[in-house]
Amino acid sequence: MKKNDGHQDLNRREFLSGSSLSTLMMLMGGVAIQAQDKPKEEETGATNYQTTGAPVKCGLIGCGAWGREIIKTLAVLPNAPVVAVCDTFAIGRDRAQKSAPNAAAHEDYRKVLDDKEVQAVIVATPSHLHREMVVAALQAGKHVYCEAPLAANHEDARAIAQAVQSAIKVHFQAGLQMRSDPQYLFRLQFIRSGALGKTVKARAQWQKKQSWRTYSAKEMNWRLQRATSPGLIGEIGVHQVDAAIAYINALPVAVTGFGGILRWTDDGRDVPDTVQSVLEFPGGVRLSYEATLASSFDADYEIYYGTDSTIMIRDNKAWMFKEVDAPLLGWEVYAQKDSFYKETGIALILDATKSTKAAAATGPDAAYMESPLRHALAAFVANCNSHAAAVKDFSDNFDISDTAALKEYLDTSINKVKTPHAGLREGYQATVAALKANEAILKGQKIVLQKEWFDLA
Amino acid sequence: MKTTKACGSLLAGCLLVLALARVNAAENWVAYSASPTGSKVKIDGTSTLHAWTMESQLVSGKMEFEPGFKLDPSLKPGKVNARAQISMPVRQFKSTKDAMDQVMQQAMKEPQFPKIEYRLTELVLKEAPKMPEGPYPFDSKGELVIAGVTNKIAMPITLLRVSPTRVKVSGSTDLKMTDYGVTPPAPKLALGALKTGDDIKITFDWVANQRADAAKAP
Repeated sequence: MKKNDGHQDLNRREFLSGSSLSTLMMLMGGVAIQAQDKPKEEETGATNYQTTGAPVKCGLIGCGAWGREIIKTLAVLPNAPVVAVCDTFAIGRDRAQKSAPNAAAHEDYRKVLDDKEVQAVIVATPSHLHREMVVAALQAGKHVYCEAPLAANHEDARAIAQAVQSAIKVHFQAGLQMRSDPQYLFRLQFIRSGALGKTVKARAQWQKKQSWRTYSAKEMNWRLQRATSPGLIGEIGVHQVDAAIAYINALPVAVTGFGGILRWTDDGRDVPDTVQSVLEFPGGVRLSYEATLASSFDADYEIYYGTDSTIMIRDNKAWMFKEVDAPLLGWEVYAQKDSFYKETGIALILDATKSTKAAAATGPDAAYMESPLRHALAAFVANCNSHAAAVKDFSDNFDISDTAALKEYLDTSINKVKTPHAGLREGYQATVAALKANEAILKGQKIVLQKEWFDLA
Repeated sequence: MKTTKACGSLLAGCLLVLALARVNAAENWVAYSASPTGSKVKIDGTSTLHAWTMESQLVSGKMEFEPGFKLDPSLKPGKVNARAQISMPVRQFKSTKDAMDQVMQQAMKEPQFPKIEYRLTELVLKEAPKMPEGPYPFDSKGELVIAGVTNKIAMPITLLRVSPTRVKVSGSTDLKMTDYGVTPPAPKLALGALKTGDDIKITFDWVANQRADAAKAP
């Protein structure tokens, strides 16, 4: 989820509590052996189908820590061969190539776009470089997965949005990977069904003691300077801002912020290492956001407070804390519960029965073993296939130069049924909200957000 | 010798005139070509778990009526000389689950038979429409080709004059997958197998414009 947080943290306590043979094997990359508990195929009449779509040949542009996480994830997908990797930084490029030994390695991203074999590109370069690469990739007819935030400033984000809207023959996806995660989609449906009662406020934080600095190359330190960096809320917070937009189901109307350099005062950076921001939503609902590179305490989470219940989300898990006067839902009596000091959280897990069964067989975190990034990239590949097939079939049957008709077909038919993902709208709106919040933090002022800033047209 | 030659020339001339007449007749047929937008074909089915639906909006083809045909109240009940060829790419039928789409495409042998096709062979107007623009109720007969298997089908359809140059053809029919050599899919799921029922219902709205170049010939 976090761009600079490529490593999956292992919780020592969870490791020890679940240190069965199967857990150990799983952590070592092994496959847990389990007893056959299902009837055989011929008994059920079940038929085997290949549900994996055609391979989509990918090119990765940007081989930093997050880019390498992407290529590792693509490597485990059955239909996402990486045929080209690109970075100006040789060490990153070489490391990425270890996950795709047969991929061509380039220093110039235009070589990736010139490669006819490449059908789709994943742009995971520093945010301030996205615009040029994404626009060129779309013009070259490649499907594009652009990491979030889409850009480091509003003008670049708008240019990307315009390019995406012109490139109707290809699929575009924003790197807000949570939007593809089944657990997130389950929570979204749950919250939208009114489980919170009236939403009154929200809180989100991301805290990690780290410098954000790397000594390996000057251009790698783009996050530390205002000229190139969208700051903590732009780089990291964009995911949580996007979640708030989705859960509250509205766009923010104003942002306020404060920030300062409180820990990393000696390396010449001008980007705050500690920020606080309030995003105001319609109806007086406010999201209070905090992030720091000076403390790791309590890591990262989001909390949505309602009159009937409060929902806390952390590590892609969620719990509901009910008020005593909240209506009884019924199912919560049987649900898994966890204690948090004096509170009891009711676990919100998609397909809880199945997850419990999987957890019994493979470990306590079985329900979450497929990362949001894996879901997002699998969705990207499926959506590239679906989009390309639609354009080809339209072209075979109608006049492809009739772009209005093609656009109508794609919008009313294909785009509505794509595998869940963050599209241009979600990516653009979360980017604009996060960038404006960063601007408010740098200025220490309130910024009233104009509705048209979020409009795509 | 001479006579034989003259007879040959006469025969060739007659054939040429006949051929030209045929071309001329074909040109005079009133042709409608599929509109790239506005059409919809829906497949409804059942399963051991829940009902399912797949939908496509990509329906190409053309429909032609005898010279002088007009879709207006002057049309008398009875047989209308008409022909149509409709075509739908199988892979454009979408549920909301990519995995289900993949399963259905394999069941319908999509790589080998990428299109569902329909050919109209007979059209009979049942009664005069209540309004000038329709709907005009017809009985139709035709051939439906799914997964490479052709079956004759009969179904009531309606024609609606959406504008002076645009028509909407609507109808529905019940089918059995097995009649077309399609084994009702029974994909394995995490909690067991789901088995789809053999019976499906196809419902369609096909929109066409009276314009020769609106679509490529099927």
